[in-house]
Amino acid sequence: MKIFGKFDRRIIREGISEGKAIIFRKEGAMKKLFSVLLVAVLFHGIAWAQSIKIPVASPFTGQLASFGEGVKNGALLKGEELNAAGGINGRRVEIILEDELCDPKEAATVATKLASDPGVFIVVGHLCSSATLAALPIYREAKLPAISPASTNVNIGRMSPFYFRNVYKDDFQGLFLAKYVNNMKGFKKVVIFYEVNDYSMGLMLAFMKEAQNLGVKILGTEAYTADTTDFKPQLTKFKMMRPDAIFIPGYAPQGTLIVAQAVSLGMKNVGFFGADGLDDDLMLKNPDAEGLFVTTPFLPDKAGPEAASFVAAFNKKYGKVPNWFAANSYDAVGMAAAAMKAVGQDRIKIRDYLASLNSKEKAYNGVAGKTYFDENGDCLKDAFVKEIRGGKWVSAEKQL
Amino acid sequence: MFGGQVQSRPALFVHFHEGIFVDRLLELSSLFLQQLVNGITLGGVYALIAVGYTMVYGVIQLINFAHGEIYMLGAFLAYTLVTVLGLPFFAAFFITIPVCACFGVILDFVAYRPLRKAHRLAALITAIGMSIFLQNLALMIWGSQIKSYPRDILPGLFFRPALSFGDVSLSWLQVFILTVTVVFMAFLHLIIHRTRVGTAMRAISQDKVSSALMGIGVNRVISFTFAIGSAMGGMAGVLVGLYYNAIFPTMGYIAGVKAFAAAVLGGIGSVPGAMLGGGVLGIAEVMGAGYISSEYRDGISYAVMIMVILFKPSGLVGRQIGEKA
Amino acid sequence: MIKSPGAGITHRSMFLGLLFLALLLPWLPMGGFTNYVLRIITTAVLYMILALGLNIVPGFTGLLDLGYVGFYGIGAYTAGLLAIHYDLSFWIIIPLAALNGALWGILLGAPTLRLTGDYFAIVTFGFSELVVLVLRNELWLTRGPMGLPGISPPSLFGHNLVHDWEFFYLALFLLMIILLVVTRLENSRLGRAWFAIREDEIAAQCCGINLIRYKVMAFAISASIGGLGGAFYAKWFKFIHPDMFKFWESILVLCLIVFGGMGSISGTMLGALLLIPLSEILRMVLPQSLFNARYLIYGLVLVLMMRFRPMGLIPFERAQADKALRARRRLAAQEKEE
Repeated sequence: MKIFGKFDRRIIREGISEGKAIIFRKEGAMKKLFSVLLVAVLFHGIAWAQSIKIPVASPFTGQLASFGEGVKNGALLKGEELNAAGGINGRRVEIILEDELCDPKEAATVATKLASDPGVFIVVGHLCSSATLAALPIYREAKLPAISPASTNVNIGRMSPFYFRNVYKDDFQGLFLAKYVNNMKGFKKVVIFYEVNDYSMGLMLAFMKEAQNLGVKILGTEAYTADTTDFKPQLTKFKMMRPDAIFIPGYAPQGTLIVAQAVSLGMKNVGFFGADGLDDDLMLKNPDAEGLFVTTPFLPDKAGPEAASFVAAFNKKYGKVPNWFAANSYDAVGMAAAAMKAVGQDRIKIRDYLASLNSKEKAYNGVAGKTYFDENGDCLKDAFVKEIRGGKWVSAEKQL
Repeated sequence: MFGGQVQSRPALFVHFHEGIFVDRLLELSSLFLQQLVNGITLGGVYALIAVGYTMVYGVIQLINFAHGEIYMLGAFLAYTLVTVLGLPFFAAFFITIPVCACFGVILDFVAYRPLRKAHRLAALITAIGMSIFLQNLALMIWGSQIKSYPRDILPGLFFRPALSFGDVSLSWLQVFILTVTVVFMAFLHLIIHRTRVGTAMRAISQDKVSSALMGIGVNRVISFTFAIGSAMGGMAGVLVGLYYNAIFPTMGYIAGVKAFAAAVLGGIGSVPGAMLGGGVLGIAEVMGAGYISSEYRDGISYAVMIMVILFKPSGLVGRQIGEKA
Repeated sequence: MIKSPGAGITHRSMFLGLLFLALLLPWLPMGGFTNYVLRIITTAVLYMILALGLNIVPGFTGLLDLGYVGFYGIGAYTAGLLAIHYDLSFWIIIPLAALNGALWGILLGAPTLRLTGDYFAIVTFGFSELVVLVLRNELWLTRGPMGLPGISPPSLFGHNLVHDWEFFYLALFLLMIILLVVTRLENSRLGRAWFAIREDEIAAQCCGINLIRYKVMAFAISASIGGLGGAFYAKWFKFIHPDMFKFWESILVLCLIVFGGMGSISGTMLGALLLIPLSEILRMVLPQSLFNARYLIYGLVLVLMMRFRPMGLIPFERAQADKALRARRRLAAQEKEE
């Protein structure tokens, strides 16, 4: 098997001349394609040179699009307000939306695109933990700081000095829920219906650990995969266990189906509860969901004076009350802008500025509370509880 | 299992435990029965879709990957008719069925007919391509959010239990679905065995060339096959959209795979096989999810499919096809 | 039409020209966007490797493998787990992942390769879906949906590969190896047996070719290339997650070889080079609402190609004719030297 025989070398020489010919000659679809690609990419970079870019990466299409919409709306509102107040040091703010479909591959591609862009100094995103984990190494290599308004997976802050988040972690949320369920609701026998994904399972594990300490019995756990619509087999199993409540640490699209099917199976006096993944207006469509409660990082009426004007402005612009995605992304953009105002357009300096917000006094005062980071980039935030009464989300009267 | 502490105090204790024992038995059997009910309903749906796959495979030996998308389009169509045009549900149901039949015919005409003479692989690849195309088309048109019917679409009666003994309940909606399934299956059986078109279909599935020589308009009968299969598939889509109240563009893919597994299980090419396969697979899936593992629920269909193809390709009912001639 | 030796551009010289271009790629002035473009092209090269692997089965034996993502995933998780638990070097992981792929290829292929085309396709599909389900659910092995973060990057003589251009060259290097393997296979006895099977199985059997043995070999080699690609993927992304291995990947790779030409090596690579960056170009060009049209196009490609040009862009026969031309030129050159 001769590889580089005499004739092959001639071919190589020929090849080099061919290559040069391809570059300089006019023909070839390859070349045209390549040049189109180059031009598109360069143009993209040149076009927005004057304004300050703050990219927001989340799933704007796909099953979790309604969560992404909250992120989008909050970010856009903050962008508008910043520009109305004169921008950052006089320059316009441009909120760039990057759709990554909650898919790790797309997230990595988007992350590379943003990391390559010399006009990007900070990223607001991502939403799903798997997407964040895929993008994380890329931002870390490029020394590009990022704030996630919605990723609650416990590992994220630890893994990179460049990743921050202004939402609490799943272990905190699970613990809080267990305490609330035990102290406020008196549920003693609970079953857990989780989705096979990192968010759901992380929550479940945290809940179970604390529940064990508090003496709340977990009668059983069942799983479902993302595209399931038929939950009856598992729900039937739960029914036979006669629990006080079903914990659904999943997302609203499945949550609403689970509730409907549970009730249709005859599970009458069973409570339902969940976490921030169920915090969506989708749950309101189901009259059986009356009494369902969730933890959430943001409650308009418990949030303090800054929030009131935010809620009003949001309502005016979009015709609805902001959810926690919107509130957190609003704050994240605000923090990004504050950082750039303070230290200018430098990735490392911005990262250091954010890391310096490490105590209550130095915290960023946003609509979703005071945000300050620990050494991992995680933050401690309060959790609130909201429930469905009369077909609407209201704050639970009893908060922890 | 039943907290057994069988000890020395006979009579009273034994009666006490007997009581609990009977209770537990009742509990377990009503669990089983309820799962059975769930399984049969699911099975009926799979059967309706599986019939489409099996008939098309019977006449042109093609696995119509895009059949699942017809099912999905049926669901979306009915949903659109109800929410956008404000039609009552049954009107939407009866309009969707013939429209889906047309979809099927168009699909055949556009994608498969030109490849009738080509290599089997080419048709299979085209089917996959059409499936991807239609899925994403639906995604673009309707978006990826899960759609559901408004609650008042059917009289509340439908959602309430028709029969219930103890913990087992069967809702009117389930009864409706099962009835529709059985009725249309019988109808199909009649068509295949009592009409000329049905005979033509059976002839073509045995030998296309000879059928053509006998004067059967092969292409027309094939179109008819697609029409019937797609009508049933579309109907299944509408029913499922109502039953689970969840309509989304990727529903065709999952249901399609499972229904195909059901068709293979029953014996691909055989309509009664599809019905049987559907029922068995539905029950197997529910039992598997309920008793063995809920994470591997979808895996049951894949495993069944592989096992059947490897060990008994003719399926439960069908004739010997699948290995080299 | 016999061209005189030395005249005309053959595919091989075109390819070498492009290769030369590619080697220059990281140094072209593209400003900050170098990394983005490099990443896209590296992805294209990875898919070229995968496509070359998949190409073997339908291209050389006429069967359709719909479960390629299974081997891709197995390779990636083998690499990821070996890297995380045993901290093995990339250069050991690659052959191990390829071997694991081959092993599963043999396990899957042996009982199933006697089936007809349709059934074989379905079984491979079922198998790959089961593999993905296992990857997703068996947390003790794969951490399931938590994914495997923190995979160490490959290292060369103690230097960790960190930059995008380093990965680009690594991908090119792997591509060269695979290309070498595949082209030599094509010209070997094994390759000729495969073509015979593709053209007419019964005749091939009559010539004494043991169908099952050759088919299993093809399948195993195809699977091992898939495993190799997966290993590179894991070490490049440094994070793997079951969501990265959906059925869609199998379809995408199928699309590439259908577009380029099933069985033809140059066609397959061209297909990858054209279709993978297409998705990124569409991302930039299409408005937000038509985002999903990107995938629609791949479906359309499959349908249209089968309808209008089922042999692909560079048909297998044309690639053979090209080889014949090269052989003639070689002969002429040798004659000239004597």
